[in-house]
Amino acid sequence: MVKIVLSVGWTQRGRTEFEGIEGQLIDVIKSFATDNPGCRRRLLGADGELLTYFSVYLDDKLIPRGERATTTVMAGSTIAIVPPLQGG
Amino acid sequence: MPPLRSASSTSSVRTMVRVPGGPFLQGSPPWVLDWLDKQGQSFPREWFTDESPPINAALAPYWIDRHPVTVEDFRQFARDTGYTTDAERAGYGMVYGEQYWEERPGACWHRPAGPGSGIAGHDRHPVVHISWDDANAYAQWAGKRLPSETEWELAARGARFRIWPWGDNWHSGNANTAEFYAGPLGSLNEWRAWWRSVYARQGPMPQTTPVGAFAGRGDSAFGCGDMAGNVYEWTSTTSYLYHETELCDPTLRLVMGRYRVIRGGSWMNFRYQVRCCERLHGDPAGWSNFALGFRCAKDAHGGDNQT
Repeated sequence: MVKIVLSVGWTQRGRTEFEGIEGQLIDVIKSFATDNPGCRRRLLGADGELLTYFSVYLDDKLIPRGERATTTVMAGSTIAIVPPLQGG
Repeated sequence: MPPLRSASSTSSVRTMVRVPGGPFLQGSPPWVLDWLDKQGQSFPREWFTDESPPINAALAPYWIDRHPVTVEDFRQFARDTGYTTDAERAGYGMVYGEQYWEERPGACWHRPAGPGSGIAGHDRHPVVHISWDDANAYAQWAGKRLPSETEWELAARGARFRIWPWGDNWHSGNANTAEFYAGPLGSLNEWRAWWRSVYARQGPMPQTTPVGAFAGRGDSAFGCGDMAGNVYEWTSTTSYLYHETELCDPTLRLVMGRYRVIRGGSWMNFRYQVRCCERLHGDPAGWSNFALGFRCAKDAHGGDNQT
């Protein structure tokens, strides 16, 4: 399993930590978006592909947008999805 | 960033405010976080711990723009230099659609809601869809720089703490926020209802107002305008926590050292996000949106006279 952490800015006072299945980073996020429809529009475009505006951190390391497609998430890792405007 | 030609003169060059500097306590005293907790707003306490307790700050005198950089100012810069913004190069800009943020093809500073929109009649509105690099390029051309967040905060509230530029009592008529249009907003659902009504009439057109539209009643102690709402404003400061050990949202902690501090809130916000000490943090790697602009600053030297 992997841990997926969202910004409070996206969840307000709701849940911020979720579990997912390890695998290719893009697939993990797509699967998470599918399982959590409230997050889908924040993460996926109308074509079902990942939007690019947010940042993704894997175990606190920023994954450049160009490397998302080739990044694998191992069991026990933490993915943080961070919007471009934080705080407030 | 390639060197840019300098501005010979722009409207905003002559509209700066001299701030005398000096020591002050930067940030919100803890009672503000207690107050926020009791307001029924949407965010938990750890969302605001990046602004409190205050830290000691001291500044040399400096100049800061009285208002955010306008469409008219930015057009002159773009014409003079041929500069294209990050949003123009990317081919899309971030707008809030009917439901949520969208990467809208073609949206940029002169097409703020995307194709079919424009800036006719918006010369005196703050320019939007401005990335951190775009703001710095303009500032370099204008012979200025971005203000640090410390400079921005002192200009907004003065040396004595105040919640909003005019004082500690909220007045929705003093600033361009969502509450200026919709009245008191208590929840995100109320905000969404307001935005849907705007969207149905205008699409994702930024609800900016001309700079200085709230002059007098909305100005800061130093006479700066639009420091609460209208547009989010970039600063030069790399995001950091005032207190490393303070309990803080984990994703907020991740952007420290990476993002740049944004101040002032925008027309999209509730009263809580347009406080003088409110800190937001923006991705400086080319991102912008349709509520994001900036103002400039410059060092003050002994005896200088900028009018």
